Amino acid sequence: MPKRAQSGHRAGAAAAPSVSLYERSGAAAYGVSVARFADILDEILHKYFGPASNSASASTEQKADFCAGLRLEELALARACAEGNERAWEDFISRYRRKLHSMALHITRDAAHAAELADSLFADLYGVNARDGLRRSKLVFYTGRGSLEGWLRTVMAQEFINRYRKQKRTVSLEEQTEQGVQFAAAVPEPACIFDRTSDRTSGRTSDQLLEAATDEALSELSAEDRFTLASYYLDGRTLAEIARTLGLHESSVSRRLDRLATGLRKRILAGLRTQGMSHAQAMEALATDVRDIGLNLRSRLTQDSGAKAFPGGSISAGDAGNTSHD
Amino acid sequence: MTEIPKIVYDRLRAAGPERAHPDADLLTAFAEQMLSAVERDGVIEHLARCGDCREIITLALPDTDIATAPIADEAEAGPATSSRAPAPRKLSFSWPSLRWAALAAGVVVVASVLLMRPGKLNQSTPSPAGLQVATTAQPVSSPQIASSQVASSTVVSPPIASPPIKQSALAAKTDETRPQPELQLSRKLKPVTPALQAQSGMLLAENKKESAQADKLTSAPMGAAGALAFDGSARPAATETIEGSNAVSTVEPAPSAEGNLMTRNEAPAIEKAKPAPQGVEATAPQKTTTAGTFAPAQSQARNMASAGKPAPAISANPAPAQHATWAITAGVLQRSLDGGQSWQSALRRDHPLLCYANHGADIWTGGQAGTLFHSADGGLTWAQVQPAIEGQQLSADITHIDLSGDVSGPPQVVISASNNQIWSSTDGGKTWEKQ
Repeated sequence: MPKRAQSGHRAGAAAAPSVSLYERSGAAAYGVSVARFADILDEILHKYFGPASNSASASTEQKADFCAGLRLEELALARACAEGNERAWEDFISRYRRKLHSMALHITRDAAHAAELADSLFADLYGVNARDGLRRSKLVFYTGRGSLEGWLRTVMAQEFINRYRKQKRTVSLEEQTEQGVQFAAAVPEPACIFDRTSDRTSGRTSDQLLEAATDEALSELSAEDRFTLASYYLDGRTLAEIARTLGLHESSVSRRLDRLATGLRKRILAGLRTQGMSHAQAMEALATDVRDIGLNLRSRLTQDSGAKAFPGGSISAGDAGNTSHD
Repeated sequence: MTEIPKIVYDRLRAAGPERAHPDADLLTAFAEQMLSAVERDGVIEHLARCGDCREIITLALPDTDIATAPIADEAEAGPATSSRAPAPRKLSFSWPSLRWAALAAGVVVVASVLLMRPGKLNQSTPSPAGLQVATTAQPVSSPQIASSQVASSTVVSPPIASPPIKQSALAAKTDETRPQPELQLSRKLKPVTPALQAQSGMLLAENKKESAQADKLTSAPMGAAGALAFDGSARPAATETIEGSNAVSTVEPAPSAEGNLMTRNEAPAIEKAKPAPQGVEATAPQKTTTAGTFAPAQSQARNMASAGKPAPAISANPAPAQHATWAITAGVLQRSLDGGQSWQSALRRDHPLLCYANHGADIWTGGQAGTLFHSADGGLTWAQVQPAIEGQQLSADITHIDLSGDVSGPPQVVISASNNQIWSSTDGGKTWEKQ
């Protein structure tokens, strides 16, 4: 694998602790030298803290704590695999080969797709795809922040999403033809139950006011609250799934959702009233919002983000050698 | 769940991500609660806007069918999550629920004793020393309640060596004095379960309010009720004293007086206690029944009569790797590595878990529909075990698990099912016998 320029950001303070970290990691068993291991740690520090010359980013102690908190043993295994160490591969295969398949089955819920997904990921991990004549393993992007098994699951989920999107784009026209979509009437504009221009306040329609009030109410929420709302109401996730993601108890999520739903309505109404609407008008605007959720969902089956595809690891954006969903 | 206005759907969906997706490392660390507060805020801000990454996070959740990595509970999440709602552990231990659970558990204990020992109600003979015997023996025998079916929420098994338990259980029959063990064990109990002490104290106070009732209790010749009324340090232990001394007659009024306090949770416990055979002799601690009278000396076991209400039970083990304290809350096995300060979900199944038993790092947990899991490494990895013999599988609810045996070998696993079957295995769950 190509080595990053190490001398420029070699943290001097990392050298001493790296010996003890090296011993903890068991990297020696996989033929990784102390110097190479220190380079790996420097590389990770560079990723998360910027160049070592940037002393304002973090103190030496912070970096040492950060390194000590990494999954060193799994990091050593992953990096040794990426560098082609046979013993490391044996260990990796014995530990994760079966798990990869069960993970794939868990994600795809389909045996055939699971096998395909797992094999594909395994090929990526092994580095079948060469770039510039060098075998490049996706394991080089693992930095030990979380467990290796969790990282494998996440990478596999990313791969699944990417494939799903590609596949969807490929077959969507055929499916649409089969479904007679071309004969379907265009999605109508929302029916005008009330005169959308009659509620002009400050030159804006009631819809615009409603949107502005909703956006403001949402912006007042914490990111975690918005995540919870979106997961439950948009994605249809279960309370259990949200709870596990956030590390909360289901009942906490349930209470939070109730609180958020109630609070949002109040805030939107309050926002509308501050825009000059009467209480009755605000209630009507909220209740008679005719943008049917079903139509919206149909028109936005995917939430195309426009952001970059999921990188296999973002040591640098250009290093990501995996698939893109575009 | 409360519905939200449709405009909120629209605006939530309209918010697109502003930045590139977090990489797999960050998402993994986020899911495993390993990120710093700043990093976590950044990731969750992205997740709030990006449906794809939300889906990835959800897809990448560990498959609980295989093994469940412990999920950090919010109680231990640190400053990044300080705005979260109170931890379930705190709710579980909230004072009102403890108080009611304690009362109800006490009622169930007494009721189960009555049901199991109907023929021995009148065998006890009043003696001036009876009360002394009871108060002496009850703290010592308190660990035995660990295997009792009603260890629903409040019972604590301190890390007490097993020999005194056996001795005291036997001694309760005949001996009249063992003040020293009582004092020692009381001291041990206090730091572990201050809440329980207080709670029992409340129980005591309430009992005293019922003056007529209290009179009956204090006049109890063989001390079970006496311990309940006076000592207050370990209410369930009083029942064990009853077991040891075969004196139950004077406890009879207790259920009738407090029966209205029984919660929905404990009701099944009585139901399950009914079919229990004639109980178990005090001298045969390995034996267990559906009512689970005696715990094997070297195991800490907890049963939940029902998974409906959070009611953690606690155990403590001395070895560093075995420091975990276990509890079952709402059908989920919880683990605490810091003596109950914070809790993690250790195992969550489709079928609610009802009971568990651990022997050091060796832990078994069972639940509805024959769900049985075993972990030999303190809950890091789990293996599902299906008790079966000659093609017949256990599919009834597992209501009780008991572990016994030598420290060196695999413990004998004895599980009781709701259909009155008792299954046991001496080889770690590979082969089973059914009684």
